[in-house]
Amino acid sequence: MRIIIGEGSCGIAAGAGKVHNAISALMTAKDSFTLGSTGCIGMCFLEPIVDIYDGKTLVRRLVRVSEKDAENIVNAARNNDLSLLDSITIKPEDEEFLNRQTRIALRHCGLIDPVSLDDYIRADGYQGLKKALTTMTPEQVIEEIKISGLVGRGGAGFPTWFKWNACRQSPGSEKYLICNADEGDPGAFMDRAVIESDPHNLIEGMLIGAYAIGASEMIVYVRAEYPLAIANLEKAIAQAREANLLGENILGTDFSCDMRIKAGAGAFVCGEETALIESLEGKRGMPRLKPPFPAQKGYTDAPSNINNVETFANVAWIINNGGEAFAAMGTENSKGTKVFALTGKIKKGGLVEIPMGATLREVIYDIGGGIKDDKEFKAVQMGGPSGGCIPAELLDTVIDYKALSATGAIMGSGGMVVMDESTCMVGMAKFFLDFTARESCGKCVHCRIGTKRIYEILTRIVNGEGREGDIELLEELCVAIKDGALCGLGQTAPNPLLTTIRYFRNEYEAHIRDKKCPAKECTALLTYSIDTEKCVGCTVCARKCPVGAISGAVKRPHSVDTEKCIRCNQCLISCRFGAVNVR
Amino acid sequence: MEMIKIFIDGCEITGKSGDTILNIAMQNGIEIPNLCYNSELKVYGACGLCVVEVEGVPKLLRACSAIASDGMRIHTDTERVKRARKIALELIMSDHEGDCKGPCSLNCPAHTDVQGYLKQIALGNDREAVRIIKEKIPIPASIGRVCPHPCEDHCRREMVEEPLSIAYLKAFAADNDLASDDPYKAEKAEPTGKKVSIIGGGPAGLTAAYYLCLGGHDVTVYDAMPEMGGMLRYGIPEYRLPKSVLAKEILAIEKLGVTFKNNIKIGRDISFADIRNSSDAVLVTIGAWSGSTIGCPGEDLNGVLSGIDFLREVNMGGRPDLGKNVAVVGGGNTAMDACRTAIRCGAENVYVIYRRTREEAPAEDIEITEAIEEGVTFKFLTNPAEIIGEDGKVKGVKLQIMCLGEPDESGRRRPVPVEGKFEMLNVDTVIAAIGQKCASEGFEDISLTRRGTIEANADTCKTNLEGVFAAGDATNRGASIAIAAIAEANDAACAIDAYLLGLELNTWKPYYSEKKVTADSLADREKKPRAVMSVKAPEERCKSFEAVINGFTEEQARKEAERCLECGCHDYAECKLIRYANMQPIQPQRLFGEIHDSFIEQRLVSIERDQGKCILCNLCVRTCRESVGKGILGLVDRGFRTVIRPEFMGTDAVRFCKDCKKCAELCPTGALKILER
Repeated sequence: MRIIIGEGSCGIAAGAGKVHNAISALMTAKDSFTLGSTGCIGMCFLEPIVDIYDGKTLVRRLVRVSEKDAENIVNAARNNDLSLLDSITIKPEDEEFLNRQTRIALRHCGLIDPVSLDDYIRADGYQGLKKALTTMTPEQVIEEIKISGLVGRGGAGFPTWFKWNACRQSPGSEKYLICNADEGDPGAFMDRAVIESDPHNLIEGMLIGAYAIGASEMIVYVRAEYPLAIANLEKAIAQAREANLLGENILGTDFSCDMRIKAGAGAFVCGEETALIESLEGKRGMPRLKPPFPAQKGYTDAPSNINNVETFANVAWIINNGGEAFAAMGTENSKGTKVFALTGKIKKGGLVEIPMGATLREVIYDIGGGIKDDKEFKAVQMGGPSGGCIPAELLDTVIDYKALSATGAIMGSGGMVVMDESTCMVGMAKFFLDFTARESCGKCVHCRIGTKRIYEILTRIVNGEGREGDIELLEELCVAIKDGALCGLGQTAPNPLLTTIRYFRNEYEAHIRDKKCPAKECTALLTYSIDTEKCVGCTVCARKCPVGAISGAVKRPHSVDTEKCIRCNQCLISCRFGAVNVR
Repeated sequence: MEMIKIFIDGCEITGKSGDTILNIAMQNGIEIPNLCYNSELKVYGACGLCVVEVEGVPKLLRACSAIASDGMRIHTDTERVKRARKIALELIMSDHEGDCKGPCSLNCPAHTDVQGYLKQIALGNDREAVRIIKEKIPIPASIGRVCPHPCEDHCRREMVEEPLSIAYLKAFAADNDLASDDPYKAEKAEPTGKKVSIIGGGPAGLTAAYYLCLGGHDVTVYDAMPEMGGMLRYGIPEYRLPKSVLAKEILAIEKLGVTFKNNIKIGRDISFADIRNSSDAVLVTIGAWSGSTIGCPGEDLNGVLSGIDFLREVNMGGRPDLGKNVAVVGGGNTAMDACRTAIRCGAENVYVIYRRTREEAPAEDIEITEAIEEGVTFKFLTNPAEIIGEDGKVKGVKLQIMCLGEPDESGRRRPVPVEGKFEMLNVDTVIAAIGQKCASEGFEDISLTRRGTIEANADTCKTNLEGVFAAGDATNRGASIAIAAIAEANDAACAIDAYLLGLELNTWKPYYSEKKVTADSLADREKKPRAVMSVKAPEERCKSFEAVINGFTEEQARKEAERCLECGCHDYAECKLIRYANMQPIQPQRLFGEIHDSFIEQRLVSIERDQGKCILCNLCVRTCRESVGKGILGLVDRGFRTVIRPEFMGTDAVRFCKDCKKCAELCPTGALKILER
């Protein structure tokens, strides 16, 4: 029997490390069962997760495990009596979260030991590389990718084969294959999970790409905020080198290629490919004008190809299973699967990989279990700060590049932040514009000053100082920035704002004209009062109020001094009679 | 090398294959606005001004990076391009803190380049100073003496100690120029063959005549009075503006080629229709020559005069019999002129009746001071309730005692009668100097405002009549100060010039960046008191109409001019940003928010850098790295807070600077200034 603990970053954050130590401490040399770890299975809402295997078969999946459960787990394993663990075993409805998914990029995540080459090889690892190197020409590899219909998973959705081919055709003996692992969207962690949980899959995908374009060096640009990903990838690179999967004459062929990691310093703009190249070269991360494109003049002015982690994570599978198998999934113009990081006001948050063509409703309700506390769904933000929100009436939109773009949002890299009725859409737009304004590299006028001005206007709107004409001014600025900004960061920065204006214009108007926040989130616009019919004069609220804004005699209705009130919401939380009103 | 043909705004030009649109345009002398481009440096593409529309390409392209291809049709001035450029400029300007022009110039109604001429006066170049002044004011010796100088009211030197004596420095330079062997004479354009008639030879009429004459038009000025000068000649007393000075400046305008026709009144000596028929354009600058009435009983008594009638009579040589006691009603400059003139006419007791206090009085404070010195008694917080007469002649005035109430819409506290409190004042004459109105008889078809002034478009000076323009005291808001009339006449001259030549008239107000300055930011300036001009003693002044002030000595004037803080940007004339900003109307104000504060540092050897003016074009950084090979400068921080610094912040970087000044030479704004050593 094997006890396997999910020790991705999310598992560790939830306490998986402590569980591991507690179990390990209870084990003795006599115990016949073993303890191991795996990466992230993607069910963040159930972490820490402990799997019990009998041979290759998963016999129990334990969820929300704490150190206190260690003794029971060890006893169960020793005595072969898993019934001891019934109370922490995953519920069938939660198993649906995984059962409804189709995993390609995440196919090994949470199932193998990330830093075991043997585990990876047992799971058909490096078969795709072997097939490509020994039975296919680089052109055939590109052709297979073309058949698969794989497009860049980083957000832009550009056909992968086209980029590879352009780089292959570009003159030059020295070429680079770069992996963009600078995953910076708030709420996105797809790439982190892949690198942490299945680093060899990334290496294999990249090697196939490097073979296709004729690169002799591969660089993974990964953000320094992903220490576990870097550590696991470093181990995997070392293992691969040892196994002649990296370096000279890989697998005995005349293909030679090595790989290194570059840790990024945490600038969001370095996820933009030309800024990433500047950063790789040791310069300030600022976008370059295109053309020339990286395929012509990239890293050190040599032809370079840059793909996202998830794109590479699909490659070995495609070579193994054939492009047609991949293209068989999805819609007419979007093939294969897509990984999403489902977060926000959702019951079951985590990593979701589903075939293209599924609807947003299926992801949010069938897999994600619907909205937390059974509140009303309001919108989902797709694509992070570069994307847009999609409202309830468009929940049946299918996951497809064209269909999502038509809503004003984008497929993006996979961030999917769910919002409920209590989310203020103006505040949401302000959050993202604050992010892009801070993360602008400062180079072009439109992005540096434009996003800042938008943020300032949104700030005054949520503070109740919005002016007539502000919506139109925001729209004008959005159009100008989309047109005028130099790189993708700036050109897409207005998207969250434009989509919220498009679908929730009434909320903007309410803030500006009526000085009201319909979601009751903008504290500057709230008024607290006490319903004298309901108030029994228990004095709890008055005692909780930190500024003494509530007064009233015992057993007499209380009242709020709105001048003093700082809208901290304490009275509302403390009242047991529902007597506090917020407007 | 292969050559290609492209079309820019319909103009066919050739360029090298593979070259950018911007480069080819520049080589062919076509300007596409840009702030971050330099042909010797790598393309950067940050400012977003060089966008162009290319036929068949849906997106706007940056001309600095877009490679031209054969047959490309490029448009640099479409509505879409202008819109994109406008917002780029507005964004840049919303984070650009500096004074394009000094507050003196911005607050001068005529936007005279005050800093420019003060510099020339400080250097002793009076003729050059006059050349600069005469770009806006053709009669500086006169205006310098009478102007209530809004420029001085806004002079920042006030925060150090006292404002500069700008107005009189202007008169000083102009006097010197007039007295020189070779007074400044502006160049006249080739004759256009167009005939302009100007009705009214006051400051507005003279100004418009001067500039229209310089523009090559045939200009005739008609005036009802025996001499030109309008209110400067017939309203302002001799002791403030010696008529000999005015006469010299008027003569200079006549010598330029303007025809003067005096003693001609419209409707009496010639009809308005005749003037219109014989001219290609007509400008009406008839001023406001009718005194407003007090509106109290007894106003029709013998001995009640209007201020301007009284001043005109004295200026024409008359010495009216005022009796011993004179009351002047009003608190403005005309009231001051009237009371001081009354003293000089021999009145023993002169009272000024004003319903508010000295603080609210619109008259110049120095005028009140000098009037008191000359013996005038000010009766503040009084208002005529009734003029008392005997045998049809003024005997006294019953004064209502007033107090100050709540502020009115002008911001001044409203005078309120104190119920039942009155005072009797025995006077022989009452002079009402409470306002002037326009008398527009003879201009029957012209549209008037509700106030009875001529209605003229604020931007184009056009009246309702084709080819008829109007400016000055006679129009819209009515009587104001001479420099305001001159400013309007400048606009009218431009409008008429455009009208006659069929040119497009730019009517928008140019945008200028302004800096917030406090006394604290000027605390390090050395204190140098304002030059005091010698004035004649009050006893002496009362006896004659001779000029009160004696003027500056040469030494005084040069030193006074040197006190100028030079608030306006040193780079104004060469600044690319302000030039592009004023090619079309922009409103950066709508985007105002946080800014990079003006922060002046002298980091590199001989260069001063003003953070507030930096637009992050990065030319300094790039030239230092790419063409000088030093790389001392770099960008620091992210987003809006990005700034340019010596890369390693410390003083070490400065040691590597070889003082080539290339960075400052390429700076498109005034952010980098080469220090004179």
